[in-house]
Amino acid sequence: MNLFEQMAEATIKGDKEQCAALARVALDEGVDPVQAIQEGYTKGMHVVGDRFAVLECFLAEVMLSANAVSAAMEVLRPSLLERPGHGSQGTIILGTIQGDVHEIGKNIVKIMLQADGFTVHDLGYDVPVRRFVEQAEELGADIIGASSLLTTTMTYQPDLINLLGELGLRDKYRVMIGGAPVTAEWAAEIGADGYGENATKAVEVARSLMQEKRGGEVS
Amino acid sequence: MISFWDVIGRSESGTLVKEEEFDWKVAQTAREIVERYDIRYDPEQVVPSDEDLVDRVYQAGLDLFLELGMFCRDTGRVLKFTRKEVEQALKHAPTTVTYGQGKDLAVMACRSIEDTRPPFCLCTPVGAPVAEERFVPMVQSFAQEPLADTFSSAFSQTVHGRPIKSGTPQEVEAAIWNVIKLREAAKAAGRPGIGIHNLVSNAEQTDAILAAVQADFGVLPNDGLAIAAISELKIDYERVKKVAFLRNSGHNKYGLYGPLMGGYAGGPESTAVVLVAHHFLGLLAFEAQWHCCFPLHIHHFCNTTRELLWLISIATQALSRNTHLLVTISPFAAAGPCTEMVVYEIVANVLASTVSGGDLNLVAVASNRHPERATGMEARIGAEAGHLAARQGMTRTHANEIVKRLLDLYESRISDAPLGKRFDECYDMETVQPMQKYLDLYEGCKKKLSGFGLDYS
Repeated sequence: MNLFEQMAEATIKGDKEQCAALARVALDEGVDPVQAIQEGYTKGMHVVGDRFAVLECFLAEVMLSANAVSAAMEVLRPSLLERPGHGSQGTIILGTIQGDVHEIGKNIVKIMLQADGFTVHDLGYDVPVRRFVEQAEELGADIIGASSLLTTTMTYQPDLINLLGELGLRDKYRVMIGGAPVTAEWAAEIGADGYGENATKAVEVARSLMQEKRGGEVS
Repeated sequence: MISFWDVIGRSESGTLVKEEEFDWKVAQTAREIVERYDIRYDPEQVVPSDEDLVDRVYQAGLDLFLELGMFCRDTGRVLKFTRKEVEQALKHAPTTVTYGQGKDLAVMACRSIEDTRPPFCLCTPVGAPVAEERFVPMVQSFAQEPLADTFSSAFSQTVHGRPIKSGTPQEVEAAIWNVIKLREAAKAAGRPGIGIHNLVSNAEQTDAILAAVQADFGVLPNDGLAIAAISELKIDYERVKKVAFLRNSGHNKYGLYGPLMGGYAGGPESTAVVLVAHHFLGLLAFEAQWHCCFPLHIHHFCNTTRELLWLISIATQALSRNTHLLVTISPFAAAGPCTEMVVYEIVANVLASTVSGGDLNLVAVASNRHPERATGMEARIGAEAGHLAARQGMTRTHANEIVKRLLDLYESRISDAPLGKRFDECYDMETVQPMQKYLDLYEGCKKKLSGFGLDYS
């Protein structure tokens, strides 16, 4: 089993110590950290994501694997910081929108995005529309992701898009929406750039939005 | 006996824990307890008849609740209860709840496993989104169903032409509008005294909800509200504020629990255990008179898959055999109105729930997310199946055979279920009666179901 395969294996097992140890080996051997993430940890996380999609494993196992990848990322971070774009797939601001206290779905999306190499800033739940925009500006986000579990709160999602327009920032950010009552039709109606029916699809959408934003270039 | 004030006191004095830690503990403890009690899901026993297993699920749910307690988000503290406190609350839990008045008065009573008394049928589009102009006809289509014991609300996408936003002044207006329109629909259905089990489903904030619960708006003294736990095993002060109001106003109140299979609760076995535990949370923190369960598949947002039907059946049986709690199941179908699949999904869930001792909250379809996808016909399909199963004395073994045959018809299509037709494509908007094509489709399905052993003759 080569180093990348070992990284994938440790990720699938949710073995935090082993993931971090393999990251140190990669650095010692001069392996490109981005390649380690993409060929090792992310591949392992994709296996976990595929298993979760058919419920061969559950959220707790996904979180264990995600935490293991985070431990590896901590080791790799200094090397990543030396690279343009820090080797990140993109930066995403994520939160459950104003008035809504439900966040399991949003948390799953966060885990899957992080595991895919995105830098995710989680604003938590009950996040005012204005805060999404302020945080996106402050943290230099590429994508804003707003989740909603309730029909009474999904009505804030268009407000987010309208506020970006009002502030002249609409073209600066891609907006993704999701949540139990949210549909592709709703996303189209309010002018969102992307809609993820579930966490796996949300990652695909985020990747495609970043590709589009970077003019077709993949990091 | 635990009082409202004890709950408040413990929410201020319980152990401080980070929410993430509590989530982890739910996942770990549920898994350990499932091992401890040797609880195993059997895909061939979708409606199990193993009473030892049923009792183990109950004990596991009680142990889980005693070990974990519940998490209060506002204070970041865990509220714990003793076995004796839970047992006392169970002993004093209501055995009946009354809704409505006059000829529309209906009494929900505790059912047992394989009970021949029909299930109590709460008919509702479960907050399905609908255009403002079709709100009254849609909810009327549920209220007018002959087997509806109570009814409840759809979600009007606008009120006075404006979208409803949580926490805004228009949310208060919308909640009041909702209540007025529900009673208007009851009158249009020719059932002015029918109970409304959940008066407001278009407002999230407590101030808006409570503003609407007024006799002047058509609210009856025994109409009520749902109080929903936050998954898994969490409460917050917004919810407990409703308890404070309802325990003083005398309106009925019920607990609403939707653990996610695949989420922190884990697989079917541990989610069944977590679902049982939620009933103790509702009883103690919400003073719930009855309990409504809607466990959901984390990816498909329905509860008609094989695993979900098993966990619904086993958890309902566990509570029916070991308590006199009033347990209601809320079927969530993946398919939408006027499809054969929705008929089979609803009937499968209803049979599993009814023979297990549950009552019925009928019914969410099209995963409860697609606008205009809900009609009274789906409530009729569920209520008729529930009444028939009870009256013909259906056993769990027989229900298991039928449910498995129904699963053969739809389970491979769950992830790509047909959305079906809109309300205005299924019902004549002038008469608010189902169109012939839906009646014909249902008749065809009934013939197939009769062949499986559910006798519609």
